[in-house]
Amino acid sequence: MEISKELFERVPAEEKNLNRIVRPSETYWQDVWRRLKANKLAMAGLFFVIFITVLAIVGPWFSKYDYRTQDFSIANMSPSAEHWFGTDQFGRDLFVRILYGARISLTVGYAVSILNFTIGVLYGGIAGYVGGKVDNFMMRIVDILLSIPSTIYVILLMLIFDAGLTSIIIALAITSWVGMARIVRGQILSLKQQEFVLAARTIGASSTRILLRHLIPNSMGPIIVTLTLAIPSAIFSEAFLSFIGLGVSAPMASWGVLASEALQGYQLYPYQLFFPAGAISLTLFAFQLLGDGLRDALDPKMRK
Amino acid sequence: MRKRGVKLTTLVLALVFALGLLAGCAKGGGGAAQVIRYNLGAEPKTLDPALNAAVEAGTIIENVFEGLMRLDEKDRPIPGVAERYEKSADGLKYTFYLRKNAKWSDGKPVTAKDFEYAWKRALDPNTAAEYAYQLYYLKNGEAYNTNKATADQVGVKALDDYTLEVTLEAPTPYFLSLMAFPTYMPVRKDIVEGNSNWATKPETYIGNGPFKMTQWLPKDKIVIEKNENYWDAKRVKLAKVEMRMLEDATAALSAFRSGQLDYIESPPSQEVPNMLKSGEAQALPYLGTYFYEINVSDKAASVNPAAAKVLKDARVRKALSLAIDRKALVDNVLKGGQTPATTFVADSVVVDEKGNRFKTKDYYKPEGDVAEAKRLLAEAGYPDGSGFPEITITYNTGTGHQNIAQAIQEMWRKNLNINVKLENQEWKVFQVTRTQKQYLIARGGWIADYNDPMTFLDMWMSNSGNNDVGYNNPEYDRLIAAAKKEADPAKRVSLLHQAEDLLMKDMPLIPLYYYNNIVAIKPYVKGVTKSQLGFVFFDTGYVQK
Repeated sequence: MEISKELFERVPAEEKNLNRIVRPSETYWQDVWRRLKANKLAMAGLFFVIFITVLAIVGPWFSKYDYRTQDFSIANMSPSAEHWFGTDQFGRDLFVRILYGARISLTVGYAVSILNFTIGVLYGGIAGYVGGKVDNFMMRIVDILLSIPSTIYVILLMLIFDAGLTSIIIALAITSWVGMARIVRGQILSLKQQEFVLAARTIGASSTRILLRHLIPNSMGPIIVTLTLAIPSAIFSEAFLSFIGLGVSAPMASWGVLASEALQGYQLYPYQLFFPAGAISLTLFAFQLLGDGLRDALDPKMRK
Repeated sequence: MRKRGVKLTTLVLALVFALGLLAGCAKGGGGAAQVIRYNLGAEPKTLDPALNAAVEAGTIIENVFEGLMRLDEKDRPIPGVAERYEKSADGLKYTFYLRKNAKWSDGKPVTAKDFEYAWKRALDPNTAAEYAYQLYYLKNGEAYNTNKATADQVGVKALDDYTLEVTLEAPTPYFLSLMAFPTYMPVRKDIVEGNSNWATKPETYIGNGPFKMTQWLPKDKIVIEKNENYWDAKRVKLAKVEMRMLEDATAALSAFRSGQLDYIESPPSQEVPNMLKSGEAQALPYLGTYFYEINVSDKAASVNPAAAKVLKDARVRKALSLAIDRKALVDNVLKGGQTPATTFVADSVVVDEKGNRFKTKDYYKPEGDVAEAKRLLAEAGYPDGSGFPEITITYNTGTGHQNIAQAIQEMWRKNLNINVKLENQEWKVFQVTRTQKQYLIARGGWIADYNDPMTFLDMWMSNSGNNDVGYNNPEYDRLIAAAKKEADPAKRVSLLHQAEDLLMKDMPLIPLYYYNNIVAIKPYVKGVTKSQLGFVFFDTGYVQK
């Protein structure tokens, strides 16, 4: 058969582009952000978290009250224009005390999760990557640590350290990284079987490089989700420890301390309990929403 | 016979059943269950009469044991185990005649030897009782306690099973009241010896009082039940007293309001003004002072050397005291109708039967004196608090103590520019910290053991087991010793006033307020007496619904 020129047709311009990828190309993180933005609840959580963090940092500078000056003439005032959240039994402005409390509670939350991240990721990463006996040994230690209720160590550790912010952070960090280590190890175990790791090893990349440059960045999704959920749990543990009297010492007060102090007179002055308890609940709620949204956004299977 | 027996059993069964039904009905109506649920407030460190130094455990000991004398509702001594007594003309010798029907809760008779044994045991240096000095009134009591005499030389002797002869060092006007004090309770040699845990188990905790302990669940409750072997058991109407150990005042109040407790003490300060107004709570007199102890012993250096050094300076201690506005503390923080303390001896302590009070002056103004405090601090080398190390106030866990500490922390910061750290400890731990002098400033509270200034003042003698501050002034020891020997009441009071002057000049402690007792009692609880000395007596109590 002769192929004549007539058999050919010029492709119209619009069809030329048919093979092009329909969606604009975007990186993984752009994609995550796009999907997170679509999740209204998660965005509300994110904004609240940013809002309360900024407020905790700058808020106290703009107030004429401080957290420790007592004035008995204005003790136990109900919320008013002068004192937004009222005053406590020593006449201290409750709004300012809650802002200072936010500093403490959020510092604990963030600091514990950073330590948690560092220890947990390295420990889990090494266990998962090296594998074998080392993995077995390292994970049994984790099992032992997990089998003892963390409140017990925290209280025991608090006996060794003096009560205070630093020791709370250390005590909580020491006990909270095990969950993270398990998740990271699971991720690494499945990732290290994949071809890109083999490729990296073939061209002679060192173990450290493979771990830090390939494996851990690829397990970032679950890590970040665990992290967002670790922050509220640290805040809550601190509130609980302060509530039972192991927290920061007076007149500094975290949200837990504020709630605990308000409990003495909650039947007469319920607002003194309501505001710090509300602050704890809202913040925990916001972090939970954000964490939940991030989990969906980071999960490749949920991609649309 | 046999048949009858069967019939009897049936009858008994029927009766038991009917009684059960009645008892079931009784809860709503007439004969209410004779049970009182009381909040003890804290887990006792020990219930051993010789070793105890706390008021809570004292309440249990007072109900489980009975001394030679008891106290009536006005805290006057009335015969207890002793039926009668004879006192020598010079006031140095007492002979107690014990009643023959007094029994221990296991049925054995109470003898004079049990008293002799118990007193010598408390004085035995190996027992290491904090309250040993409470028995220094006995001839050679102090000498035995300090290894300078033998047990046989101590002035207590059982002449026979029912006669006890007591010889004193000096005439002691309040000696009979002391006979009702926990440290003077009898204990049995066969139970106590070789069993250091005897006071922790109901089976071995054998007493001779109106009640016996039947259960001790640590951190939960102690149950005492009527002791059928008590010689005057027919007088005791209550079947059982359940003592709970809720440390948190708010929780205790909630339990009281929801009907789980019938009798609570010291409700949360925020609630007190309203409770007093509505009649839910009442303020009872209480012979005691709430104060801060300053560790002036050498052991303070092991806590914080810099702070220990500044606290050794009497000017600093005075400055700290004067920088406190006690009136504001009482009116705004405590709010329970207490009185600011301007002396160490509680204001309602009397010196004679006519009710003349010991307190004749204020050592400082209730509002304090900030200018003078600043001057003293500058004189000591810390003008406006510069260079002053951080000091720590240690107190036992409890919202009331915490509130006071917070208020004082702020007063010292505002008035003297001193940084204060607060540290709370559980009661048991705190008691150890205090006796071992491992603190800088600690909360203290002293409830009179008997209504006389001596109980407030002799504890600061250098050899007293309750001298937790490590105060050691030979002149003070001399004044108290002289007062103890003085037979003339006016001279004795004058010596005690001089001693208090000296104590307030050296200021190893900062009096804050005089206690009162805020109690909330359900209206159906009758006859329970709260002594001015802090103990609660249940033997006269009953429930009427």
